[in-house]
Amino acid sequence: MIELSRVSKIFNSGKPSQYAAVSDVSLTIEQGCITVLKGPSGSGKTTLLSLIGCMSRPSSGRITLRRMEPDVPAGQLVDLEVTSLPERFLTNIRRSTFGFIFQQFNLIKGISTLENIMLPAYPTGQNLAPVKQRAVELLELLSIGRHANAPVEWLSGGELQRVAIARALINDPAAIIADEPTAHLDSRLSVEFMEILGTLKGAGKTVLIASHDPVVFESLLADRVVEMRDGQITGASAR
Amino acid sequence: MIQHPAILALLTSSFIISGMLISASWFGKQILSSWDLSSGSELQLALERRTYLISTLISYALFFQIFSLFLFIHTAEDLHTSFTGAMCAAGTLAVNSSGYPTLILKMLNCTLAGVWLIINHADIRGYDYPLIKPKYLLLNLLALLILIETVLQFSFFLRLKGDVITSCCGSLFSSDTAGFSGNIASLPHTVMQPLFFAAMAATIGCAVLFMRKRKGAYLFSITSTVTFFIAAASLLSFICLYYYELPSHHCPFCILQQEYGFTGYLLYATLLGGAVTGIGVGVLHPFTACASLKLVIPALQRKLIVATMVLYLLFFLLTADRMIFSNLRLVY
Repeated sequence: MIELSRVSKIFNSGKPSQYAAVSDVSLTIEQGCITVLKGPSGSGKTTLLSLIGCMSRPSSGRITLRRMEPDVPAGQLVDLEVTSLPERFLTNIRRSTFGFIFQQFNLIKGISTLENIMLPAYPTGQNLAPVKQRAVELLELLSIGRHANAPVEWLSGGELQRVAIARALINDPAAIIADEPTAHLDSRLSVEFMEILGTLKGAGKTVLIASHDPVVFESLLADRVVEMRDGQITGASAR
Repeated sequence: MIQHPAILALLTSSFIISGMLISASWFGKQILSSWDLSSGSELQLALERRTYLISTLISYALFFQIFSLFLFIHTAEDLHTSFTGAMCAAGTLAVNSSGYPTLILKMLNCTLAGVWLIINHADIRGYDYPLIKPKYLLLNLLALLILIETVLQFSFFLRLKGDVITSCCGSLFSSDTAGFSGNIASLPHTVMQPLFFAAMAATIGCAVLFMRKRKGAYLFSITSTVTFFIAAASLLSFICLYYYELPSHHCPFCILQQEYGFTGYLLYATLLGGAVTGIGVGVLHPFTACASLKLVIPALQRKLIVATMVLYLLFFLLTADRMIFSNLRLVY
């Protein structure tokens, strides 16, 4: 479970260009569920995702990971408040607790699909053989095993999306964070993407998606839709 | 004389370090009064972000503070030719009333800076800033002491006059001289020599006890500190004699000279370094119970004990070498 308590993110604080991207957001994201952040561009969805995923720090408020056993050097902890953590701890948490799927996929051209998937596992220091084995299994699970050795630039949009999902899963994270994941997919591929996320939810993963695509927020697989506007939560509905 | 490059370097660095520490202690005052990890306020989050940066900057400043002790001694040694009567740094430091107080304060600050660096090293490895308040309390004390040191050092260098006739080390550190240095120099080697070996053995014993049974951290810390004082007194009482091969020359500064291969620097660095790491073991011990440090502190204590033993052993080997191969023989 991810718990947000009065989280705000203000850019250029104290300057004439001050801008509150997220204002006083309190939210609980349940474990093993798909939560969708819905809202127009500029509503603060991506900023909120980056705060939850420990990629940026809030200006005020706290975010606590409960029962997610984040990897910190003091041993496995059940609960951990992440906003106060120094950068050295956040790196590990980003690596082990969260898997990220970006709007532009952010795959690296010139290297193979398999290598792209294995990349986030390299800094963890795991042996190469089990990492490769896991990457191959993920490719098979997502039905793109035949592209393992193909450079990513040869793949179609839907296939790229699957590679991005496999890469997000390589370190077996407790949560998947996806920012506008269907922005470059047609309706059929978007439905397929949601089905894959449904499978991950079934496997106990917590999924958090920011999207203004009706295929995503109207999907029956989404357990909760949180509406945002102007950096604030304006409504939430559970399925 | 104030235009001497080393003096300019020392004064400039002292002003910079003092400035950095005063500004850090102002931040420390905010930490001590407003720190509340359970709060998610804008102030608390700003303090969390800034403390990491400030700790890093202060760490570099304190590393130089430690180095400056040796630069200060070297400068005093280098300047002794400018004063009538001075044979080594002892004479330079006696030129005016600020010399020895500056040296003593520099040694104290060097020790406290080392302890602060150890506390900071442990603190930044805990995910919840477990030592933040003790760290800034010590930093505030250190800022005050370093500020006093800067003033004293400035006064010392400013009042260095080439026409002053100063005392030579032979009279300052003679067993016939009244006062603290004379009293230490006159300690009988028949007592100090066995005491020195016993102190070294006791420190090794405490280290073995901690490594094997994971207990006795305070005992090790106290023993290593006592060993530091005994070793320093031994240096004046009898170790120096083996270096100079003169039964009446107890100066602790002449061994810094080229004639003795600059061995003094190594002796003082190992002794002071061993004391700092030894004290660090005890200082960290109360925080072993912190959840975020339960794996960090025992590992760090083991490293500190190994460092203490290596440094003290090096000191012991250097002095034992002279005791065995010196032409001087002290009789019991």
